[in-house]
Amino acid sequence: MRFWARIACAMLVALALSVFVAACGGGDDEGGGTTSAETTGGAAGGARQGGTITVLMGTAPDYLDPQLAYTTQAVEAHWISYTGLLTYARADGEAGTRLLPGLAEDLPTISRDGRTYDFVLRRGLRYSDGTPVRATDFPYSVERMVRIPWGGRSFVTNYVVGAQEYDTGRARSISGITANDATGRITIRLREAYGAFENVLAFPALAFVPSGTPMRNLSSDPPPGVGPYMLDNVVPNRSFTVRRNPLFADFRIPDIPLGNLDAINVRLVSNTNSEAQQVLNNQADIFDPGDTLPPALLPQIESQARDRFERKPVPSTFYFFLNTTKPPFDNERARQAVNMALDRDALVRLSSGFFEPSCFFLPEGIVGHPDSPCPFGDEPDIEGARRIIREEGLEGTRLVVWGQERSPRKEYVDYYTDMLNRIGFDAQERIIADTVYFPTIGNERTDPQTGFANWLQDFPNPSDFYLLLDARSIQPTNNQNFSKVDDPFIQRQLLRLNTVPASRLDTVADDWRSLDEYTARRAYNAVFGSISVPKFFSERLNFEDAIFHPLYFNDWSSISLK
Amino acid sequence: MAIDPATPDTTGTGAIREAGGDVPAAVGPDGRPAAGIGPYRLGLRRLRRNKVALAFGALFLVIVVLCLAAPLYADHVAHTGPNDNHVTEQVTVRGEQKDVVSPAGLPIGPTWQGRFLLGADQNGRDLAVRLLYGGRNSLQVGFVATLITMVLATIVGICAGYFRGAVDGVLARILDLIWAYPVVLLGIALGTSLALGGITIGPLELSGNSLYVPAAIIGIVYIPYVAKPIRGQVLGLREKEFVDAARVQGASSLHIMSREILPNVASTLIVFLPLMVANAILLEAALSYLGAGIQPPNPSWGTMISDGIRLIPSAIHLTFVPGAMLVLAVLGINVFGDGVRDALDPRARVRISAAREEKISDEAMEATVEH
Repeated sequence: MRFWARIACAMLVALALSVFVAACGGGDDEGGGTTSAETTGGAAGGARQGGTITVLMGTAPDYLDPQLAYTTQAVEAHWISYTGLLTYARADGEAGTRLLPGLAEDLPTISRDGRTYDFVLRRGLRYSDGTPVRATDFPYSVERMVRIPWGGRSFVTNYVVGAQEYDTGRARSISGITANDATGRITIRLREAYGAFENVLAFPALAFVPSGTPMRNLSSDPPPGVGPYMLDNVVPNRSFTVRRNPLFADFRIPDIPLGNLDAINVRLVSNTNSEAQQVLNNQADIFDPGDTLPPALLPQIESQARDRFERKPVPSTFYFFLNTTKPPFDNERARQAVNMALDRDALVRLSSGFFEPSCFFLPEGIVGHPDSPCPFGDEPDIEGARRIIREEGLEGTRLVVWGQERSPRKEYVDYYTDMLNRIGFDAQERIIADTVYFPTIGNERTDPQTGFANWLQDFPNPSDFYLLLDARSIQPTNNQNFSKVDDPFIQRQLLRLNTVPASRLDTVADDWRSLDEYTARRAYNAVFGSISVPKFFSERLNFEDAIFHPLYFNDWSSISLK
Repeated sequence: MAIDPATPDTTGTGAIREAGGDVPAAVGPDGRPAAGIGPYRLGLRRLRRNKVALAFGALFLVIVVLCLAAPLYADHVAHTGPNDNHVTEQVTVRGEQKDVVSPAGLPIGPTWQGRFLLGADQNGRDLAVRLLYGGRNSLQVGFVATLITMVLATIVGICAGYFRGAVDGVLARILDLIWAYPVVLLGIALGTSLALGGITIGPLELSGNSLYVPAAIIGIVYIPYVAKPIRGQVLGLREKEFVDAARVQGASSLHIMSREILPNVASTLIVFLPLMVANAILLEAALSYLGAGIQPPNPSWGTMISDGIRLIPSAIHLTFVPGAMLVLAVLGINVFGDGVRDALDPRARVRISAAREEKISDEAMEATVEH
């Protein structure tokens, strides 16, 4: 009798367990509320919940404090851990550039002159440590970002009333941002209309942190935030963990998924060869897309891991700048000759195929990218270019070509220098360390003739790219307009187009397109395309379901174990 | 009997016969003075007997000749220059068209024919052509750097040792200062800064890309390694009777240093010469590998190794070939240099052997005591 009682008890326990496991593994139709740590259950109709994965990074994040971080390695973790008033849709490709309300109840109400943005904060929000979120935390967070300071703070200080004064110490707070804790209303006033300001508000650097968070770098112990995940266990320069935030499920914010994994362990490795090998052999789960896959391993990856490897284009512009204020590129025909001779296919090969050739400054995936053929032909014409250089009397003109040490950028410059010599110039290279490259070529004292430059989008808005061709960007130090383009037509267009709000960009897409075609015809730069990055997972993960966001790369909250 | 103070020793011991020294004259069987044999001729005889040194010397010579013939090879065999990119071109290998650089960015391996004999690099440049031009650049930097080292180190060493006092104090401290820095670090610091601005000293102007910039850097950082031993030798020589005799005869300091002392340190300089060439080639390779030596796109063995590193798993020839050439060149001149040292100063070998034996017996003694 006792024997049968034991059997019955065991069967009841097994039944209870199986019901529990099924409930944990089941999908949540409303997209929220599932926080189980169960790792073994797999139920039909939804991604498997729970589990821990390992992400390898060959390059360390610049900071783990959200209000200091700027690099892709850092914001990959931050955009799921620190939510601002606005955020982006969790989607692949262009769909991922759609702005969504984050901690705000809705998209902002923008005044007719485009200078006042009104938001209302969602109610009942709490930080990952349990502290209630208040509207006044927003101005504090922005002030902290300006003070400690974030590298992209000029997006705020250039436009928000009183931000410049706060930055220079002439004011104790940013007068252009007001917040009311009782009503949850937040108002931001701008000095002039700035269409991309909504994109600026979606930066993780403008996300909420509690008032009173120390105004210093907290990378080793990141502050609490609001998001489906939170940062934990930081071992500087070695590892950190992105762990599920158990409080977030209660907020039920639409379109921000709760995530599937319990934890993501991020480990820094110094060797991309070993990084790729470990993912290939399933010893780690994700190869960070910010790293370059070793070309030597590519054939092996493409054959052995075809179903878990993909090249993902990133809206970016890679180009050789041509200083329009100095000989020989103050001559428009010389610039055209360079554009004629450029072999973009060669540059694609130098990038191991991780490249989309293009001759337009606005890359694919950005509103206004032209579909028209290249104004100087798609095929390189060395003879034609040489003839132009000869006709213009520029044969033998000495050039110094500036470049970076890192591969394949050095190889780009090797190719470009050889091409310039083939068309008749006397070009020499000057390769300098990556860390000092942009400050050096952006310094008035260097005033380089030509060299390599690139731009990866800060946000999906054409005005972000045209910052590099805006005459107002020409500065004695940290100049970004390396070609020193000062074209009245471009300036007139930018004054108008830059004020169009991000949510209405489609209405001016044709204007941006014709502006970009004009820029290509004037050959201000020799654009050669945009990069792709690797989406490369281990066999343990659901590759197809994982979102690859155009700004923040792998959306870790969409990843699940098989 | 007045004897030419600079007359070299004929006894084969490497010693120099000194003025006023009481040395018996060698006599032949007929009672007349025997026909003397110079130390250098004697050294040459000894060197000829050292077949290993000669073989390695010949190996180095072959590498030098091959590298000097780089333009001939580039123009008449490979039909391409060292910096010519062929990224999107194809080459016919045994009747089959092949990409010089594949769409995935992998360069072609050795074709064992005129074009791309040893394959191509990432930019589709002919590896054999770059190897020979790279060798020319590496050797040129090595020789020029050694010349700079030897000339300046000789001047500094002789002046410091001869004048002593304040001159010695200042020069010795400068040498100590250079010596205090690790050679490679000092080379990187100088190389990085000079590669940007070049060197301008009066009418002498070198652009950052000039081969003479790394040559000058390497030449300078090695000065103490030669100047210090020379100084030590001169400190002893200046007290010798033949120097006193010259001084008594009214010879100027410049005359004494150039006519009396310099010939006496010449054999030391000759022994240093090949060793410094080898060191200079190695340092050039190290600096170029680290981006502080020969500036791209100019090839050198160091830059070629550096460029090939990221493709090691699939295109090992990019690093192996220049690495092997570097090893062979340095090994060749080092072994030959050892042979020259043994030939000109056989006592050095005796000294080294004695020192080794002494060390071994000391260690044995210590081991015995411990037990």
